[in-house]
Order: sequence, then structure tokens, then C-alpha cells
Amino acid sequence: MSEERIIRGVMASSGVAIGRAIRIFDPLLISYNFHIEPADSTKEVARFRDSVEKCRKQLERMQAELRGSSIPESSYFVDAHLLILKDKLFVDRIIDKIQAEAVNAEWAIQQVSGELYEAYDRLHDDYLRERRIDLEDIVRRMLHNLRSKSSSTVPTLPYDAVLVGKSIPPSTLFELRSARVAGLVTETGSPLSHTAIVARSLGLPAVVGIHDLSGISSGDPLIVNGTRGFVICDPDRATLKEYRQKTKQQRTTLRRSSGTPCTTQDGVRISLGANINFCEEAQSAATNRMEFIGLYRTEFDFFKEDGKPSEEELTAQYTKVLQSLRPAPVTFRTADVGPDWKSGDGTGSSLASRGLRFSLENQDLFKLQLRSLLRASRVGGMRILLPFVSTIDDLDAAIEIIAGVKKDLARHHHKFDRDVPIGVMIETPAAAQTCDLMASRVDFFCLGTNDLIQYYLVIDRSDQSAAQHYTPFHPAILRCLHQVYTLLQYSGRPVTVCGEMAADTAAAAVLLGLGFTSLSVSLSAYSRMRETISTLNLGKLHELAGEIMKMDSPKKIEERVRSTIG
Amino acid sequence: MIEREVVVGHRLGLHARAAARVVQLASQYQSSIALFRNDHGKDVEADARSILSILFLAAAHGATLIIRADGVDENDAVSAICEYLQG
Repeated sequence: MSEERIIRGVMASSGVAIGRAIRIFDPLLISYNFHIEPADSTKEVARFRDSVEKCRKQLERMQAELRGSSIPESSYFVDAHLLILKDKLFVDRIIDKIQAEAVNAEWAIQQVSGELYEAYDRLHDDYLRERRIDLEDIVRRMLHNLRSKSSSTVPTLPYDAVLVGKSIPPSTLFELRSARVAGLVTETGSPLSHTAIVARSLGLPAVVGIHDLSGISSGDPLIVNGTRGFVICDPDRATLKEYRQKTKQQRTTLRRSSGTPCTTQDGVRISLGANINFCEEAQSAATNRMEFIGLYRTEFDFFKEDGKPSEEELTAQYTKVLQSLRPAPVTFRTADVGPDWKSGDGTGSSLASRGLRFSLENQDLFKLQLRSLLRASRVGGMRILLPFVSTIDDLDAAIEIIAGVKKDLARHHHKFDRDVPIGVMIETPAAAQTCDLMASRVDFFCLGTNDLIQYYLVIDRSDQSAAQHYTPFHPAILRCLHQVYTLLQYSGRPVTVCGEMAADTAAAAVLLGLGFTSLSVSLSAYSRMRETISTLNLGKLHELAGEIMKMDSPKKIEERVRSTIG
Repeated sequence: MIEREVVVGHRLGLHARAAARVVQLASQYQSSIALFRNDHGKDVEADARSILSILFLAAAHGATLIIRADGVDENDAVSAICEYLQG
């Protein structure tokens, strides 16, 4: 049996899925060249027009259905397809070719689309070049309609399938929605791609931007972790067991957390919140009756495909998130983007300009988002969090900008919550060391352990060879966490831990032992952590924390923690 | 016939959705409408009613375009398209 392998990509739709791979190959339907009698070319043109008409009807049906789904934006890609169907560069040229060269429709389509693909390939812009997927999709549909009398039927899939392909057209995904599709994995695409949006509207876990899929064949067992952005090929038994548990929890989370408070075994109340990445996840968090949303990473929803987001759209979107979760408060982290935001994984290789630094350099975007957030704050429950803060000067500049935006909104008679809490995300060593200095300026803190550990231990998390050195049990991390906790205790400002540390049983035990009482974890980990916390004895964890603070080896500390909590 | 210069304000340039919007806008007018982009001294032309030709124009954020309309409602057509392109 082959060995378990992890392939990293970019998260595009949350959740985990277990299944077997089905390779989706590029739609290279081969057409043959038939010469037809010139007299018959009128008939052939009519046959072609029929297929265009059939495509139009199919697309309009799809558009209507997607518009009525939980994410109406998922219908946008169909607009482009419908316009291509009317485009003279495409349709008129095919008709000309059928008539002038007396060839069959399939051949004319293949010739004309081939020239257009070349035009796409000559473009210098990555995003635009990828749009050839729209044309490929239409061509595939047309050829299919020309070939078969019946309308397209959904194939039967022999098992729970993970669709794997260089790119998967959104319409293919949509048409397979009633088949046994569990998730999808693609080489191209971003969280903003149409396929990703359709995946989210269908609730299918998805990972995109995987460099090399050539090692995956149809039938290979796969696990898709859409929440963390990786794929496990040929998982071993232990991993499978762990993930079966996760998918089971995914289904039961809805019923389990009944809104009763989360407490430790010895009766201490722990605030447990959830992290979300997309506005549509707010709905499922609401049905879960989450206590609060500790972190809404707004960058994934911030930019739309057509570029600059609009203030009206964002305000409406944020209002909807707050209303669906009411009375639970929601912490909106302003878009943590850098020049490479398109990669979507937020780990950002360019450190020079990330998070708040980027916002301060691109104040138009920052102000636009602040205006939208503040305008939505009128419905209550809004908290605004600033990402990747590293100096007091940057923080002061951001606070001044917020004050300016408030003034401007008031002048234009917009209603908003004047006292909306502002918080700082502690995720750089600099912020961890100076959080006491920041405390007098803000209302709350969040601790982002993922980046904090990465920058403390100088480990690039996306580099697999260094992954083994990434550990929350390093004494440097424990000392840092202890220091942050102590500094903030004096300041009286609340702090919530939002990183993955909070979702790992042993690491969460350390956090609770060090004194933290507010954690926020991904939606899929929520019910598991709730259950875990109820088995932990806080008194014992405090003792444990005292012991491990004196230890020196990360490995031994981890062993000690795991053996204590059992 | 009138012409007007406009700088593309959309963050991602004239991408799929923006291009689709331009075609939809252009279809509301009777005038013929074309977009021009100067690429290293050579003018590239696109028909505002063809989504493919607009995509192949590859107008990025900040690109300068010339919008030309010819017909009874040429003024309105150019204004509407320029306003949209400014973002």
C-alpha cells in the first residue's frame, strides 16, 4: 500500500470530505472534419443554431437555480457564458465557416474555438488566461448538445467522489450536485473563482491551487481538508479514523451544541466561539447557536471578481452576518491582505506589507471597509479587529483613520455604533511584547497563534520540510503566552485565542492551564472542542502549566501534557 | 461620433464580470461602441458588444482606454460606459 502523503493548497470551501478521486480531464472532445454538400450548409447552420439555443436554455435554467441558492453570486459565471453564446467573434465566425468552407458544425466550432484559445493563451494576465475555462465549458456543452438528442444526464458515480482536475468548470460541479460528489481539488483557481463560489453554495469542501496533481489517479483514496487547505492522499488507517470522526461531527454539530454554556469538568465557564472565513458560514454558525464568532477573516469575501468591492454591497453583507447571528457578537477582522492576496492563504510570503501595514499603505480600501463595517454596526454585535499589528505608531494611525471615518459617516447622517469595540490581533512577536502598551488604546485582543508561532520559531509553515519544527509546546511559545496573559490581566482587556492551538486538545489544555478562558475554533472543530473542554479539570491544568513552564524540551513538554490529559 | 478617455478603476481590470457588465451596458444603446487600448504604440480595438473582444483587450487596473461611440445616443453611451469603467 502506498504511503500517506499531504499536498498543500489553498482553502476554497470549508469542511472535510473523504472519498475516492475521480479525475476530470480537460474537455477535449475530438471533432472530425466532414465535408458537406454546399447546398446542405443551410441545414448545418440550422443544426448549429439549435445547439446554441439548447445551450442558452440550459444555462438560463442553471442561472435561475443558482440565483435562488444561498449564494446568488454563484450565478455570475453564467452571465459570461450566456454572453459568449451571443458573441459575434464566436457564433458568427462559426456560421461563416460552415457556409464558406462547407464543413460540419463540430469542425467549425473546433476550429474557431482553437483560434480563440490561442488568443487567451497570448494574454499576459494569469487571471484572464484562466478564463478560457468559460469558453471550454461552452464548447463542451455545444458539442454535447450536437451529439445527443437528449439533454445532459447526471452520470452515476460509483463511490463518494472527490473531483480532481487541473480546473473544474463551475457548471460541471453544478450539474454533478445530485451525484455522489464529496469534495473537489484543483490545480488552478483561487478562493474567488467561480468554481470555489459554487462549491461553497453547495457546501462541498474544496482545496484549490495545488501545484501538482499528476500523482493522483482515479480511485485513489483522498481526504480533502477544505478548512485548512490541504489534501491527504492514500491516508493510513489512523488518519482515516480521525477524519471519519470529523465528518461525523460535521453532521452532528448542528444538533449537539444546544446553546448551553461550555464548562470544564470542574465547572469553570469557558467562552467558546467559532472562526469563519466566508459570510455564508454565518448561517451555519447561527443554526449551531455559537456563543460568538471570535474571528471572521473578511479578506476572502472582500474582493469580488470584478475588482473593487462596493460599500453598499459590503454593508449589506456585514449586516446580514450580524443579523443572522444575533445576539452573538461577531469579531470582523479587517482584510488581512498583502500584494499576494490572490493566493488566498493569508500566510503571505511578502512580510513587508501585510495586514495593517498594507491597510495603511492602501487607505482607500481600508476606509472603504471601515465605512461598511461601521454602517453595519448599527444593528449591534459588531467588533472590529486589526490584523498583523506590529507597532504602536501603526495602531495609532489606524485608530485615527477609524475616528476620521466615523466623523465622516456622522456628517453624512449615517447611523452606526459609536462605541464599536476595536481590537488588536496579537500575531507578531512585536505585538506580543508590547500588548500592554496597546491595551490603553483598544478594547480587546485576539491571539493568533498560527502566525505567532511561525514568527517566533522562524518557521515557514508552508514549507513541509520545516513543518516538524513547528510546535506550540516550545518553551519560547509558553513563555510568550504566559507573558501576554499576564500583561493583559493587568490591563483588564479581554483576550480570545483564535489560532489552531485552540483546536488541538493538548495545546488547548495548555492555554486553559495558563489562564486563558476564551477560545475560538473553526466551525468543524467546534463540537469536538466543546466536548474536550468538558472532560478537562482546570485545577489540574493550572498545576500542569506550572510544571511545564520549568521544562526545556518541546518534545518532552508535549508528551507530559498528552499523558496528563490522557 | 464622439470619443472619451477613461482610466480603468476596477481593481482586477476588465475581468470576466466587468467585461460582462460592459456588454450588458452597451446593449442598451443603439450606437456602435468600441474600446481602444494603446499597446506599445499599436491600437487594440474591441467591440463593446463582444465579451471575448473585451477580454482580449486585457485592460488592467489603471489602463487608459478610449471609448468611441457613433449613433443617435452616442453621448449617453459613452458616459454610461466611462462611468462604469472608472469603478
